[in-house]
Amino acid sequence: MPTATPDVHQILWGVPVTCYAFNHDNTKVAVSADSIDVQIWARRNGAWEVESVLSQHDKLVTGVDWSAATNMIVSVSQDLNAYVWQHELSTGNWKHAMVALRTNRAATCVKWSPLGNKFAAGTGAKSICICYYDESQDLWKASHNKKHITSTVLSVDWHPDNVLIACGAADMKTRVLSAYIKSIDPKSGNPVWGDKLPLDQLCAEYKSNGWVHGVAFSPSGASVAWVAHDSTLNVSTSKDSFVTVKTGNLPLLSLLFISEDRIVAAGHDCVPYLFERRASSWELVNKLDQGPKRSVAANSAMLKFKQMDSRAQANADTELNSYHQNTITHIRPYAGAATNITHFVTGGVDGKLVVWEL
Amino acid sequence: MAFRKTNVEFDDENAFHDDDGSALSVADLEANVNARGVDVRSLLQRGNIAAAVAKSVTDPPAGRAPSSLKDRNTQTVMEALQAAKSAEIPAIVKTLTSDQLDVLMKYIYRGMASPETYNSSILLTWHEKVLEVSGLGSVVRVLTDRNVV
Repeated sequence: MPTATPDVHQILWGVPVTCYAFNHDNTKVAVSADSIDVQIWARRNGAWEVESVLSQHDKLVTGVDWSAATNMIVSVSQDLNAYVWQHELSTGNWKHAMVALRTNRAATCVKWSPLGNKFAAGTGAKSICICYYDESQDLWKASHNKKHITSTVLSVDWHPDNVLIACGAADMKTRVLSAYIKSIDPKSGNPVWGDKLPLDQLCAEYKSNGWVHGVAFSPSGASVAWVAHDSTLNVSTSKDSFVTVKTGNLPLLSLLFISEDRIVAAGHDCVPYLFERRASSWELVNKLDQGPKRSVAANSAMLKFKQMDSRAQANADTELNSYHQNTITHIRPYAGAATNITHFVTGGVDGKLVVWEL
Repeated sequence: MAFRKTNVEFDDENAFHDDDGSALSVADLEANVNARGVDVRSLLQRGNIAAAVAKSVTDPPAGRAPSSLKDRNTQTVMEALQAAKSAEIPAIVKTLTSDQLDVLMKYIYRGMASPETYNSSILLTWHEKVLEVSGLGSVVRVLTDRNVV
């Protein structure tokens, strides 16, 4: 039975990790803890410390991403704005550039494209803002994907070709759309998803029975998978059909392809689950968190009767038998090549970031 | 109180339109429900309860189907469920597919919503046994699936 060994980092107390992103060598992490700021934590002498605070947003920061290619951070918020942050080596400060998303609703999620020259921000205005840097005007511009989406965008992921995106929305549909920007993308077609790909071209649309919380492309881009609020994981390799794995667990919120044939997903059950491709279908293999081994205290019998006396509880154990004590909101890759991820990290409502080694 | 039935989203271009999945006409649905009722009753008379339960939860009228048909189908399902003895329930649950179990869970909750009409204690036993096999996920699907039976 495959399991994963966890390395727990309780960086926040009493607040959830709303969104987070590690830098390319995992020495720093940008975290937003249910606040209007983004904190950059760095690991010093084995402990995590706040190194910088990125403070420009006026409302809750809903998404943050750190590009491994360019070392730039993008943050989006309910204040309808996005900021791109660049690190100045000379001062150690982060310089910000506002991106006018030109939207009238909150931004909900954001992801840098693989090359780091574009980012996609989902909004509550039923649109995705594809933002890119215009050299001639020295500013970030936004184009909108809004023709096909009929409700709030909840999650976004990029195809490895830097042109297509997959998005999950509150209209219970997952879509593969083109995020082609004429001035910066080379003309290309895609064998699986279609040849003509102008901006906002709908390549595929899949229906689920619940809000689509998380969406991901496989390392090659040939498969797209999503998790929905009806406790299912769905995977598709073509424009018309998809495989549904119904789980007997609470809904999953986020997922990650750790190889072309294996997915790790996590959500309201507070544990990561491993799914594997078996022939043309997918199967839930097992949960990767078997729980911390509890050491039995020598006087646990006395403790038990003491609790029975003072609290009238036979079993005062209110902790979950898992490393995360609350919902896992995001799962992200931590180490390893895209086709064979060896470590992944989960962040949750309990304020923990847990790095799992497979 | 007629205003409560007024469709205020009549010409709102931003209104959300849910997909209507059902391709069958009302007449076809009615024929299905009646045929299913007849089949289930005959299977029950012959003592084949497992097959009766399976037939009753296959392809139910859901979503936008008329509520009279849905009520009639619920009646059929309840007849099949109430015919089973508590000891037989685990074996019957084992013969059902995951889709059938999800539909069965929907009917269990529907039945429990009318305790004056249907026996809740039997439904509670069914609930326990179905939950063992299909887990909390099936309950979540009862809550999220817009195709309400």
